[in-house]
Amino acid sequence: MTVAESEVSLASRRRRRWSRHRVLGAVAPYALLAPAAVVLGAVLFYPLYLIARLSVEKYGLFELIRHQGKWIGLDNYTQIIHDGQFWRVLVRTIVFTAVNVSLTMVLGTAIALLLVKVSGVVRYMLTGALVFVWATPVVVAVDVWRWIVDPQFGILNWALTKLHAGDFFHHDWFVNPWSGFAVITALVVWGAIPFVTITVFAGLSQVPTELIEAAQIDGARSWNVFREVTLPLLKPIFVILASLSIIWDFQVFNQIWIMLDQRPSADYYLMSVYSFVESFRLSEYGLGSAIAVVMVLIMFAVTFVYIRQMVKAGEVR
Amino acid sequence: MSSRQLSKVGWNALGLAVFVVMIFPVYWMVSTAFKTGPNIFSYSPKWLPIPATLANFGDAIHRQYFWQNVRNSLIVVCVVVTLSLALAFLAALALAKFRFYGRKAFIVITIAVLMVPLNALIIPLYITLSRVHEVNKLSGVIITYMTFVLPFAIWTLRGFILGVPRELEEAAMVDGTTRFGAFVRILLPLVAPGLVATSIFAFIQAWNEYIIAYVLLSSPEKQTLTVWLASFTTNRGTAWGPLMAGATLTAVPVVVFFLLVQRRIAFGLTAGAVRG
Amino acid sequence: MKARFLVAAIIAAILAVAATTASGGTKKGQADKIVVWLQDDAKNGWPEAVAAATNAFQAKHPGAEVDVQYQQWTTHLTKLDAAIAGNNAPDVVEMGNTETTKYMAAGAFAPVQAKSFPNSKKWLSGLKDSCTFGGKLLCVPYYTGARAVIYRTDYYRAAGIKGTPKTLEQFIADGKKLMKKYGSDRNFSAFYFPGKNWYASMGFVYDYGGQIAVRKGGKWKGTLNSPQAIRALTKLKSVVGALSRAPLTVDEAHPYPSIPFGKGSVASFVGNGWEWPYTLDSKVGNPDLAPVMAAYPMPSHIKGRYMPTFLGGSDLAVPITSSKKSLAVDWIAAFTNSANMRAVAKAGNIPNATSLVGFTKGNPKVEPFAKAAKYSWFIPKSPNWANVESANVLQDMCSQILSGSKSVKAATTSASNAITRILNAG
Repeated sequence: MTVAESEVSLASRRRRRWSRHRVLGAVAPYALLAPAAVVLGAVLFYPLYLIARLSVEKYGLFELIRHQGKWIGLDNYTQIIHDGQFWRVLVRTIVFTAVNVSLTMVLGTAIALLLVKVSGVVRYMLTGALVFVWATPVVVAVDVWRWIVDPQFGILNWALTKLHAGDFFHHDWFVNPWSGFAVITALVVWGAIPFVTITVFAGLSQVPTELIEAAQIDGARSWNVFREVTLPLLKPIFVILASLSIIWDFQVFNQIWIMLDQRPSADYYLMSVYSFVESFRLSEYGLGSAIAVVMVLIMFAVTFVYIRQMVKAGEVR
Repeated sequence: MSSRQLSKVGWNALGLAVFVVMIFPVYWMVSTAFKTGPNIFSYSPKWLPIPATLANFGDAIHRQYFWQNVRNSLIVVCVVVTLSLALAFLAALALAKFRFYGRKAFIVITIAVLMVPLNALIIPLYITLSRVHEVNKLSGVIITYMTFVLPFAIWTLRGFILGVPRELEEAAMVDGTTRFGAFVRILLPLVAPGLVATSIFAFIQAWNEYIIAYVLLSSPEKQTLTVWLASFTTNRGTAWGPLMAGATLTAVPVVVFFLLVQRRIAFGLTAGAVRG
Repeated sequence: MKARFLVAAIIAAILAVAATTASGGTKKGQADKIVVWLQDDAKNGWPEAVAAATNAFQAKHPGAEVDVQYQQWTTHLTKLDAAIAGNNAPDVVEMGNTETTKYMAAGAFAPVQAKSFPNSKKWLSGLKDSCTFGGKLLCVPYYTGARAVIYRTDYYRAAGIKGTPKTLEQFIADGKKLMKKYGSDRNFSAFYFPGKNWYASMGFVYDYGGQIAVRKGGKWKGTLNSPQAIRALTKLKSVVGALSRAPLTVDEAHPYPSIPFGKGSVASFVGNGWEWPYTLDSKVGNPDLAPVMAAYPMPSHIKGRYMPTFLGGSDLAVPITSSKKSLAVDWIAAFTNSANMRAVAKAGNIPNATSLVGFTKGNPKVEPFAKAAKYSWFIPKSPNWANVESANVLQDMCSQILSGSKSVKAATTSASNAITRILNAG
């Protein structure tokens, strides 16, 4: 392609002309990276080391008080692997994450595209609403949803009964885990959409109108314009949003915890709830750290494809 | 009406429908803040807060340490947003524009950091910060928040930098400027939308975080608004009206911040930069 | 120019960080300072007692400082663990009486002498129990609260009920009268009983002579499937079925029964002393109900007794990592003296000693609850009890029995097996 050729020639011209800057060029990335790396390293190095070390120790309240863990090798890990509940929770969490991330990405992008199409006033209102949703503290937002679906005082039951969709008097949405998870998915997706929409919208606004107009002049219909011009430019953003959404939805905690009045039944355990109930709440920090390590490995495996793409992206200069 | 206008009306209608669905829980929170006690819980919902009262807001504001906590939250957020954006932008530049040894490792590590569950990090973080006497200090909280915000910010900004079409960059550099300052000067406005999105994210992360602030900050005059908000739930029930009022107050600065910066992500902004 | 602006912003931010660091690190001389962790309840309910304690303490130790920090129930244990791990544990910490066993078993608290504290000879046995482990006294009873029936005098009168029921059978008969009069409202409950209210359900079990678990030969055994317990829970099922329309899948805190009570759709419910003023709080409930509210202890099926109530409460402990244990003990002694206990009682609680129960007399808002405390039950004293609560064993069992999704026998058997397994683990 012409662009690549001109890239190469430009690059080689630059190399010949600015060779004395090569040293500077070699140091520059490290200099740019250093401040962020220092902050991350200084704060997280020891905690991450601690988590790794605690995961191979028995470290309950007894050990915590004496600041001395007891080495038990991989016992924490074997305990996790032999726990049938762990595997059930894992599968449930993976399915939950897949559903939520897909819904969030699709709906989030759709609303971002919608933002492009609407007139200024509606756009202002809609982005304002999205930011207000994003800005509401999670715990409070979940509290509000908890009320909305409350058996006695919830307006969802009231509205459905009024609309003659059935008798929802004192209907508890969480008796049946399927309906319970439907509500929780709606809550999670609702809370996650603003971030995706606003980021995608910001990305869309970077797409130069000329490219779009050029494609439209060539006779392309809007769906094709979206696919051929916009989507490739947005790809790095989508990859990042997808991987971040996977990581966050995998760790969903508050939505389950507060919706179920801080006493979820085992049917509702997701990984972070399971980890909290089985370890941290009982002050078993060794076991909890092991579960954390396992969670990181699993999340890594699940997002591996995306990470590889992110690493590769931008490799062609 | 022309078909163009018709389709515009259609899009607007859809936009308004989405608006209603998204804003409803937030509306419920805000209207509850204005409701009187008996109306907050009702067998048949009261859509409008009539009679409206400001008592809940008064109760919330007059709680002890409210203004100190506001100040603390503001300090934390301003520093976190500024520093994180600056550091993240520099790092994103490095990751997007250069090839260097350790690039892949850094990419993988920053994203792996996000995968560590917060519950597992709380006590190790506390131990680490306590060793350098950063416990019960806003600076300790700031540094901790930055570690949560940086990976995401680096990621997003890198994505936005990569998303800048080569043509724009090359065209802007054709006049031969390759000095670092000019490099930044050209790229910065092109990724302004990304900076705005990231800054909103950083703002919200720092503004709404609870458990780290609660564990690290012991003195009430040092605590942040989220800890203050959590104090509305005691062993003796939750003060729902004041809680919703407090939450509304907490959400307002974020919305204000957004309204201030949102012009930069107006659609078509960068087109002007190219034509010029 | 933008680059320069960027650099300036970074410098400003760094300076701000430095400023916040500096402002936090003032070092005072060698003054003794103790850190006290209390829950919000003290701040809202009896702040004058806290101030009085600090004054008395400082009179005894001139120049000493007391830093009282208020915590939140939901996450205070995480913070305590973190503080212990980071060598920053407070010198005095308020613990819930169901939380102490785990910490005592781990050796988290320093042993204290009963004689250092006022009224210790007459401490409530329930509270003292929650402070004793391995024969040693490891914390100090603070206060407790009991549950009683809170009811509407006007509904009772209108339904033709004279006075208050003295036995369980009379209670049921009275309740049926209420349901007859008001039951046409779908939301109305004569006796509002959320399905997962295990505190009240276990009251029935203990009333009929059953227990949650017994310890024999060093091992725990869940005993909810004993004949007495099954009799009790079957009775509970008939009571709730006849008198309550509360949802069977929610617990006693979501929502607090005060809320439907405030709406006028509840004639009575079992609640803590503080749920009474909660109903009357204008920000949450209905202050107009003040003249028609009263309380009485839940009657037992045995005449002349009350149904055992759960005694929830708080204790004060000195973490073993504290370097100022004797100062901490002195502060606790100053805080739990009779005068301060009077302030605690005035706020609707039961003070920590039987000799002080007189403080609750004459206060109609507290007296019924203090009376109810005469018959009480407590959770099995095992360090693993917290795990039973975490696993929701009792809540799920109650909900299954009351909704009929499992027979009483089946639900109690599986619950007992779970309790046996969990209490004996580790």
